[in-house]
Amino acid sequence: MTGYKTQNNMKIDFDPPSSVTLSKVCKKYYLHHAKPTLVENILHQKNEGFWALRDITMAIKKGDKVGIVGPNGSGKTTLLKIIAGISSPTSGSIKTRGRLVSLIDVGAGFHPDLTGVKNIFLNGLLIGMDRKEITRKLKKIVAFSGVGEFIDLPLFTYSEGMKLRLGMAIAIHADPDVLVLDEGFGVGDQKFKEKIKRVYQELFKGKTVIVVSHDMYTIIDYCDKVFVMDKGRILYQGSVKSAIKKYKGNYNSSVKWYINQKRQNS
Amino acid sequence: MSLLSSKTSHFLELLMEMTARELNARYKNTIFGFVWALVNPCLQMVVISFVFRFIVKEPLPNYNLYLLSGLLVWNFFSSTQSKAVSSIVNERFLVKKANFPKEVIPLSIVLSGLLHLMASFFVFILLLLFLGLLSSSFLPQIVLGCLILLATSTGLALLTSALNVVYRDVSFFVQALLLIWFYVTPVVYALNSIPEKVVWLWKLNPLTFVLQSFQSIISSFYTFDQNLIIGNGALALLILFSGIVVFRNKSKTFDDWL
Repeated sequence: MTGYKTQNNMKIDFDPPSSVTLSKVCKKYYLHHAKPTLVENILHQKNEGFWALRDITMAIKKGDKVGIVGPNGSGKTTLLKIIAGISSPTSGSIKTRGRLVSLIDVGAGFHPDLTGVKNIFLNGLLIGMDRKEITRKLKKIVAFSGVGEFIDLPLFTYSEGMKLRLGMAIAIHADPDVLVLDEGFGVGDQKFKEKIKRVYQELFKGKTVIVVSHDMYTIIDYCDKVFVMDKGRILYQGSVKSAIKKYKGNYNSSVKWYINQKRQNS
Repeated sequence: MSLLSSKTSHFLELLMEMTARELNARYKNTIFGFVWALVNPCLQMVVISFVFRFIVKEPLPNYNLYLLSGLLVWNFFSSTQSKAVSSIVNERFLVKKANFPKEVIPLSIVLSGLLHLMASFFVFILLLLFLGLLSSSFLPQIVLGCLILLATSTGLALLTSALNVVYRDVSFFVQALLLIWFYVTPVVYALNSIPEKVVWLWKLNPLTFVLQSFQSIISSFYTFDQNLIIGNGALALLILFSGIVVFRNKSKTFDDWL
């Protein structure tokens, strides 16, 4: 009996529960040559379409830091949208566990006429926090964003950088189980970037993160596992090093140096 | 602790916040703010009443007030519908970027309109109290009327906003529909002036009873037709139900169409 128990415990240790599972996910987009109208649609049912995703099956375990790379139009963003629940697959199924926050857009629902604080509540609610939680974390969010006294001013007075920082601050404090990041999340100046990287390493240790990026340095910084996509399929999955090699053909000396640096630091 | 599940309470909190956003955005940088919600129906009242008196001397007792009560309700309905129909398309940046119950977008428009209606009707009731014309027996009807109005507006807002994502014609259709709908709703006239032969058309209009219930505040000359209430109520529920079903179904693919 005890033997079984140890075995079970061991199994749980080495095999954490999956946090995002996709099975045979396909996504077809229909092409519309012009804005669809009711009459057109009834008269000639054009079903021209293309498959943005074909038969994607992947299991992302809790705590995995996954990167998705691929050329433009390979289906990365579609995949991300489906994982984030913004889009739904044409066929196949997807399961996510826990709170998922996507930074496909930083600061969704921000309204220029509302104050920073009101926008924190609006955006926070939109990404899944409740009022109590936001009230509790308000001070931290404001401090992290670094917008200072502007927080009581309407958002149209903010610079672009300030808006992005505020959005990032809210998302990070939403404390998600799964964080989905689209390219271009590395916003703000160098100082803010460093801050996010630091927070990332502290707060997201056991959490699942999925990143889409063209920037190999971002992938190296944020991921331990990479999927390479092309034409809606997953071509390859493996370690950061092997995947970059696969994707880029070869990696240049600076990427090599960067990977080694990271290994030394950790 | 709370009776509601966390999902429901989150939905309500989000709805409140979106409604506040809608209200805030509407009156930003206006000097008179909410007063505009009263000025418009009053202006309409003056114009319609002026024109109507050329045709009929005193169309109905307290005609001005009768008009005003009807116009307040009708304006709620028509402004809510004409805004709601394109709401999802207008909020495409939100719909495409975040995963949240999309229902809050049209619902927040209905809710903010309802708050307006309540506020302006409150002022209207004060006016009636001042004039001593408030009829006391209105309460049960008006509650029922409110429910039917709310079901119809919500259902239609959900239905049209979801369909408009795929078929952009729907917003034009709604504009045309509202234009006609105004004349088959007893706003500027009373139902008893409609010939018996065509009155069935008015009975198919879920807003007929709603208007009557609101108008009964000033002139309790209405005897409510029970069949009308049941018919209107059933129709309102049908609209609400189909709105919910269609929205649920269509909202899955909003992202593909925006």
